[in-house]
Amino acid sequence: MIQAEHVQFEYFRRDDDGNVSELVEAVKDVSLRITSGEFVAILGRNGSGKSTFAKLINALLTPSEGTLMIGGLDASDEDLKWDIRKKTGMIFQNPDNQIVGTVVEEDVAFGPENLGTPEDIMINRVAESLEQVGMAAYRLTSPNHLSGGQKQRVAISGVLAMHPQCIIFDESTAMLDPSGREEVLQIARRLNEAEGITILYITHEMEEAVIADRICVLHEGALVMEGSPKQIFARQEELLQYGLALPAVTEIAAGIRRQGVEFATDILDIDDFISEMNRQMAYRNADIVRNTRGMSSNRPYGSAEDTQKSEVDEADQHRAVTEGLVCNHISYVYQPGTAYETKVLHDVNLTINKGDFIALIGHTGSGKSTLVQHLNGLLKPTEGQIFFEGNDIHEKDYDRSYLRSKVGLVFQYPEHQLFADTVLNDVCFGPKNLKLPLLEVQQRAFEAIHLVGLTDDVYDLSPFELSGGQMRRVAIAGVLAMKPDILILDEPSAGLDPMGRRELFEILKSLHEIGMTILYITHNMEEVAEYARRVLVMDQGSIVYDAPVGHIFEYGKELKKMGLQVPAVTRLMKEMRQNGYAVPEDLYRKEDAIQYIVDYIRS
Amino acid sequence: MIRDITIGQYYPAESVIHRLDPRTKLSLTFVYLVSLFLANNRYMFLLAAMVLTAYIIASKVPVRYMLKGIKGILLFIAASVVINMFFTKGDPFISLGVVTITWQGFRTAVFTMLRILMLVMGSSVLTYTTTPTKLTDGLEKGMRGLKKWKIPVHEISMMIGIALRFIPILIEELNKIMKAQQARGADYEHGSIFRRLKNMIPIFVPMFVSAIRRANDLALAMEARCYRGGEGRTKLHPLKYTAADGITYGMMLIYLAAMIAIRIIYTQGLIERLEQMQLPAALIR
Repeated sequence: MIQAEHVQFEYFRRDDDGNVSELVEAVKDVSLRITSGEFVAILGRNGSGKSTFAKLINALLTPSEGTLMIGGLDASDEDLKWDIRKKTGMIFQNPDNQIVGTVVEEDVAFGPENLGTPEDIMINRVAESLEQVGMAAYRLTSPNHLSGGQKQRVAISGVLAMHPQCIIFDESTAMLDPSGREEVLQIARRLNEAEGITILYITHEMEEAVIADRICVLHEGALVMEGSPKQIFARQEELLQYGLALPAVTEIAAGIRRQGVEFATDILDIDDFISEMNRQMAYRNADIVRNTRGMSSNRPYGSAEDTQKSEVDEADQHRAVTEGLVCNHISYVYQPGTAYETKVLHDVNLTINKGDFIALIGHTGSGKSTLVQHLNGLLKPTEGQIFFEGNDIHEKDYDRSYLRSKVGLVFQYPEHQLFADTVLNDVCFGPKNLKLPLLEVQQRAFEAIHLVGLTDDVYDLSPFELSGGQMRRVAIAGVLAMKPDILILDEPSAGLDPMGRRELFEILKSLHEIGMTILYITHNMEEVAEYARRVLVMDQGSIVYDAPVGHIFEYGKELKKMGLQVPAVTRLMKEMRQNGYAVPEDLYRKEDAIQYIVDYIRS
Repeated sequence: MIRDITIGQYYPAESVIHRLDPRTKLSLTFVYLVSLFLANNRYMFLLAAMVLTAYIIASKVPVRYMLKGIKGILLFIAASVVINMFFTKGDPFISLGVVTITWQGFRTAVFTMLRILMLVMGSSVLTYTTTPTKLTDGLEKGMRGLKKWKIPVHEISMMIGIALRFIPILIEELNKIMKAQQARGADYEHGSIFRRLKNMIPIFVPMFVSAIRRANDLALAMEARCYRGGEGRTKLHPLKYTAADGITYGMMLIYLAAMIAIRIIYTQGLIERLEQMQLPAALIR
């Protein structure tokens, strides 16, 4: 299907005056052969050339050197580019920016229309391809009323209507929530298995790459690793060096190996792990089944409400009233009195104490973002009050600019709000609005930039020259410069590569260590398990669980009903228990799980 | 706020009007607008109102939904009524202290109000019953003749279509950016106009950047799906005239003829009567 030989793509970067400042080699000497019907995952950091490579395959770009054959057509031949695009479809990252039609069926028809397909054939193709992605019921809906996952399914359908032989997913799941990701991944898988369509799946999610036939790793434009998932994920050091990560279960296996236990290297999922455990234990001839049941059932577990109440005792509450942020029975109705009236928040009670490190989770549309916008007074509750340091923030003479300086809010994709000519000026925006003296403004900006791990040489750069991960850090620094006591972040790691995510959470951890209270929204359960101390779960506008992180994952079934998952570690522990291993239920951090299993094997 | 305005939003329903060819509806709207400007007496307004009522009933768009759309322009209507009412010279009708309302002022005010109301309602039926894509298709096909004069009809209609699709997305984004800057202490409400304009920079720059990024992405996505202009393109639902369109065109011509006839008869009749009754010439306006 695809034959790449020494493919090279380079372009000139120009400065403001249009002079060539450097030659960028986006793709360097890539040789790769992909046969028809293969499912290939492509991994690599942001800026590693993955997207450029995808565009070369779709003839959106033409290779500067080397030969690239797509289904027998030469990609360097300008005249063939329309035929190549017919054979290879592409699904982009942002669901909104690739839908042309104002109604679903019109968008699906866009490709066939461009190809001049006769009307009667087109009607069939549109119906058929909508059926394939399970969106037939939404034929006449406006794309604006669809969820992210549904929009991506429409985009896939639009590509399918052109009858391609190969579909490239260019980080198509990066902006979706877990259920949206699952929808897209399942469709890709089915198209591959049932229709024999070649799939190129570019992603930052290691768990998604596991199901591929083959994985290619790009680093700085070069193809540095290639092989089956088992082969690739056995090479842990190399992957980390390229800024990637391991699937959670593989990482645990690697951790066990590091402790000196001879554990298998090719573990990708829970089933692999269990059979390896079985092998280990058979080897040690241990009596597994004895004293298993006792351990898991003797432990008393209270209901969520019990936990919640016992957590916030009176002394805590008193302290919170004077120091923290308290939401007292707040409800929020969106556009009351109109046809769009919806109750987004419903009787929310929440106390954020000084020093908390909270993860806020919930399905898309459960009211998470709306709740956090209440916390710094951007939205006013329809009912109920919010107290900060004991004062009602919607009292007439309350100074809300003071509140906003003390409760910092970092929005989703905060880099999209950068505007100034230099990084320093952008970070200064917040403190300047506080009307502080210039010296103090700059001092705070310098501090904030250091806090997010950037160095002095970025001060005078334009924020738009930075990489995506750096831009996000500048945006966070812009909020930190206000010197907030409480920092709230709405999906801070969305769209970052594994390395970027790790770095970001290390920053949050260090901010917490210097005394900042942190609350972050996330869809990623590993990020909940590894970093948070306390978890809030929202569903349909209410906080349904509020408990220390260890307790929350005991409600696996309930979480699943709300479209949420438990971390891989919790799932692994559960599976192990079902297979007769006496492991505790409340392990959720990888480090703890590794230690426990090592001890278990050795005992 | 912006979301409350229902003018220009498609209202899905199954009706004769929904099924009409967009070109027919475009012509209908145009002719109706012309007829409203021709109207200069109550008989013509009566006929126009009757036709509009029939048109709205046939469209199956709920009247309440339409009236909600008009709310947004009430202020504009009120302003034009007040201006006409108080600033038209003529014979006094009611005197309220310093202000005097003239007969002519009253008459013009009422007619202006009717004209604006019917104009807005008449043209909003078009957008309520026609999806933006059909509307742009209709424009594209209806204006095909202009291509001869090198007017890029296809490109223009594609641009309108894309704009319509992205307006709600950009409004949402504007909202988000405004809040994000507010969270950093930005203030849009206080200070002089100059100050407030300056405070808009942190909103406009990111909006501009985002619009360009979206345009870039979209162009790429369109190219990936083999878009190369209007040449050789087919349509999922090509526009076709049906019998209903023919009948509508017929009724439209009859209506226009009737309006013109009333205008002529009324104008002449009034002059005759005035001559008999020897009233002041000022009333003939």
